[in-house]
Amino acid sequence: MKQQLIGTGNIAGVGATITRRAALAAAAAFALTTPAFAQEWPTGPVHVYVGFPAGSSPDLLARIITEPLAEKLGQPVVVENKPGAGGVIGVQQMLAAADDGHSFGTTINGPLTTAGRMMPDLGYDVATDIQPVALIATSPLVLAVSGTSEVADLASFIDLAKAEPGALAYGSVGQGSGAHLTAELFNNAAGIEMLHVPFTAYAEVTTSIIGGEIDAGFMAPSAALPHVAGGKMKMLGVTSAEPFAQIPDVPVIAGNAGLPADFKAELWNAFIAPAGTDPAIVERLNTEVNAILSDAEVQKKLLDMGWQAAGGSAEDLAARITEDTEMWGAVIDKVGAAQ
Amino acid sequence: MNRDWADIWGGLALGLLGAGVAIYAGLRLDFGSLRAMGPGFFPTVLGVALAVLGAAVALPAWNRAAESPKIAWGDASAVIGAILIFGFGMNRLGILLACFAAVLIASLPAPHDGWRWRILLAASVTLLCWAVFILGLRMSIPVFPKLP
Amino acid sequence: MTAWEGLAHGFGVALQADVLIYCLLGVTLGTFIGVLPGIGAMAAISLLLPITFYISPEAALVMLAGVYYGAQYGGAVASILLRLPGTPQSAVTTLDGYPMARQGRAGVALFVSMVSSFAGSMLGIVVLVVLAGWLSQVATAFRAADYAAMMVLGLVAASTIGSDRPAKAFAMVTLGLILGCVGTDVNSGAQRFTFGQSELMDGINLVALAMGLFGVAEVIGNIRNAERHAAPERVTFRQMMPTRDDLRRMPGATLRGTGLGSFFGALPGTGSTLSSFLSYALERRIARHPERFGNGAVEGVAGPEAANNAAAITAFVPTLTLGIPGDPIMALMLGALVIHGIQPGPEMLTARPDMFWGLVVSFGIGNLLLLILNLPLIGIWVSMLRIPFRFLYPAILIFVCLGVYSVRGSAFDIATVAVVGVVGYLLALARFSPALLLLGFVLGPLIETNLRRAMLISRGDPMVFLERPIACGFVIASAALILLSIWRRRIAADSH
Repeated sequence: MKQQLIGTGNIAGVGATITRRAALAAAAAFALTTPAFAQEWPTGPVHVYVGFPAGSSPDLLARIITEPLAEKLGQPVVVENKPGAGGVIGVQQMLAAADDGHSFGTTINGPLTTAGRMMPDLGYDVATDIQPVALIATSPLVLAVSGTSEVADLASFIDLAKAEPGALAYGSVGQGSGAHLTAELFNNAAGIEMLHVPFTAYAEVTTSIIGGEIDAGFMAPSAALPHVAGGKMKMLGVTSAEPFAQIPDVPVIAGNAGLPADFKAELWNAFIAPAGTDPAIVERLNTEVNAILSDAEVQKKLLDMGWQAAGGSAEDLAARITEDTEMWGAVIDKVGAAQ
Repeated sequence: MNRDWADIWGGLALGLLGAGVAIYAGLRLDFGSLRAMGPGFFPTVLGVALAVLGAAVALPAWNRAAESPKIAWGDASAVIGAILIFGFGMNRLGILLACFAAVLIASLPAPHDGWRWRILLAASVTLLCWAVFILGLRMSIPVFPKLP
Repeated sequence: MTAWEGLAHGFGVALQADVLIYCLLGVTLGTFIGVLPGIGAMAAISLLLPITFYISPEAALVMLAGVYYGAQYGGAVASILLRLPGTPQSAVTTLDGYPMARQGRAGVALFVSMVSSFAGSMLGIVVLVVLAGWLSQVATAFRAADYAAMMVLGLVAASTIGSDRPAKAFAMVTLGLILGCVGTDVNSGAQRFTFGQSELMDGINLVALAMGLFGVAEVIGNIRNAERHAAPERVTFRQMMPTRDDLRRMPGATLRGTGLGSFFGALPGTGSTLSSFLSYALERRIARHPERFGNGAVEGVAGPEAANNAAAITAFVPTLTLGIPGDPIMALMLGALVIHGIQPGPEMLTARPDMFWGLVVSFGIGNLLLLILNLPLIGIWVSMLRIPFRFLYPAILIFVCLGVYSVRGSAFDIATVAVVGVVGYLLALARFSPALLLLGFVLGPLIETNLRRAMLISRGDPMVFLERPIACGFVIASAALILLSIWRRRIAADSH
């Protein structure tokens, strides 16, 4: 019982002689030696930090996971929305709050991969401060053009772009955003040149494409999909390796129209913990998240929002972070988006 | 002499701020071109504009008589102190303690003597704020102090 | 489906018991959320989001929409009584609403604001039903150059508000524009004036700025001399009633405000702020005695309140007809629909007519509920002024802090309130207009991104502002306004 008191950081009953540092060290020691600690975890509400406002896509995704998670853990799971700086604030706040194994986070890929290259003071080092838990879901982007465009498929789009380099303009949701970097990756792979026009939200990019102000854009499938049905937009290709379940008819870009067969660009969302979290807790969370993701209803909810349920081990996620950091890092260096 | 000091100081402060912004943006941020305006374009232009406008406010005021307002520095410090105590204290002290302390400090400059009403006021505002924000709106803020 | 069939259909949806109850819940919560300084629809939606998982999508949308337009009613209350605007739109209401309260006419100001809000909303609904198709075409026809030119017109038109010296007015607008530059530059990703603070990367928090400039500044200035402004002992129904003179001034201002609000609200972006400022500027410009403005002119409350409520209704036009949310709150509302597997988009009107028409009818019912709810509350709000200021202001400060904190859970933003509060206090002492600073701050980033985008797309050709008819119209109007005011000043100078 005494172990649990110390482990939760509540040392009020232990006596004033124990300093905070000593208590933390003791907690860490107990955590490593006694499996009982992880079994009794969680001892209180679990906080999941999300770097986006309530109701936004990353927030809704987090809630799809945290709701069943609360049931499985037997403790309330509170979503803490700490929006800002493309999700980086959420990660920072998770790290600032973490002291007792009850603060975690879900985040999109940006704060774990590209943010380190784009921002001068990230406030954390992904390699040493973040403990990956599990990949939650992935989402490709689609190359969308106006429904009235003369372009019919990917090949004719690339031909048009090659006919007059720099004449086509594409929209993104900001310098260094997934949409921007994906488009630059695509430019590179297809050997074309397009003018980058940054916007702040997909809604603006959509208006601009439909209104004929710009020619194309890489967008989240769920942002483009509603306009395809009404004939206002066309989707020329998807950036995942396999056709995406939400839009099965859209061809993959990889291997199409002369593009390399390994062309792949995906956004993802992952469950993370602060580094130094008890490995048993990480293991438990990984198991629970994977169990939740294997539920067909959860998968459908995710897919409706444009996310493909992923899962896998903590090591898989760590590998994915390293791999994507390298890939996007090369693109960032090329376009000079780094500060 | 009885000049329009409010406009003189106000115009001067704004003018200096504008010049500072223009210089900082000019040195640190890329100005770009008309086609691809850089991040420094707007701040530089606006900084120069504010510097000019600041001068336009301050200069005519030199020859104009006006009553100078008195600045209540004490009241301002109490209000600012209360806000800062509350803002930085609430996550560590918990909302109850932070709110109580902040109300006490804020009430210091009120032109009414006595401690009883101040303490009573602090207690009732604390209760109200707990009821509205924690109970009602379910905001996620620690209620009690976080022990070290 | 014709509009009449649609409306009949809509009544069938909106009069369902559960939809009605959630509509009432939404507008009630919206009112109180609006009254609490700083707590906006964002905070309310995060509170209600878990509920929306368990109720029908119609009820969910009706409830969230109720919060959205209900907050506009409530926002006027704190602006009028305490000069505490929760949003930039209600900042305009402080300009004349607060002086009215100071003259012991708080009840009248609140009454006027409620009635104009109601009238604006109702006429906005008519516009929504009749002109939705046309407005959505207008919204897609607008391009970057048009937006930039429109915002500039807004700035030029509004720069006459609240200051007798043009240099001071323009200085405040410019300061606002500069503060709007703080944060990550969208086009280049560069950090501007953030000084390594990641909390500043998304810019200065708008709510913190508004609260500091108005509320905190007002508190500091009033601690010593507020006890003098005694409120009426008891509020009778007669004290709420506008005088015959007020009644004569109201309808025109309300109608003009509704017109501006209906049009600008339908444009994605910041239509509602722009329209309330424009409405105020218009009323002041056409008034026979513009010097009444800023000293409790009824039109200065009626026009902007009608405008921002009409805009809150027509803001649903791009959302419902194009599937393009006009502001972040609208985007969150659509996010709640996605939870129910409903893909908001242009086909929603045909695929889910129950949704569209049910919502439209619920606007009408919700606004009626708001009026019924709010008129009796006026007496209670006004009687709050009888509380001695020394009891009131510490509570105001705490509520402001928590309201700002609710936006994104950041203690940094509370520190921002403190700093802005001192600056706002000094500016107010020197008679600089904080409303203009706020307008510059809101419009600045929009002008900048749209101007830069227009130049990027036109490949550096500034003629784009004259070649496009919409942009050209706004440019000519701005130029005409500037020339007009120079000419007027010249005439005024000659007559001296």
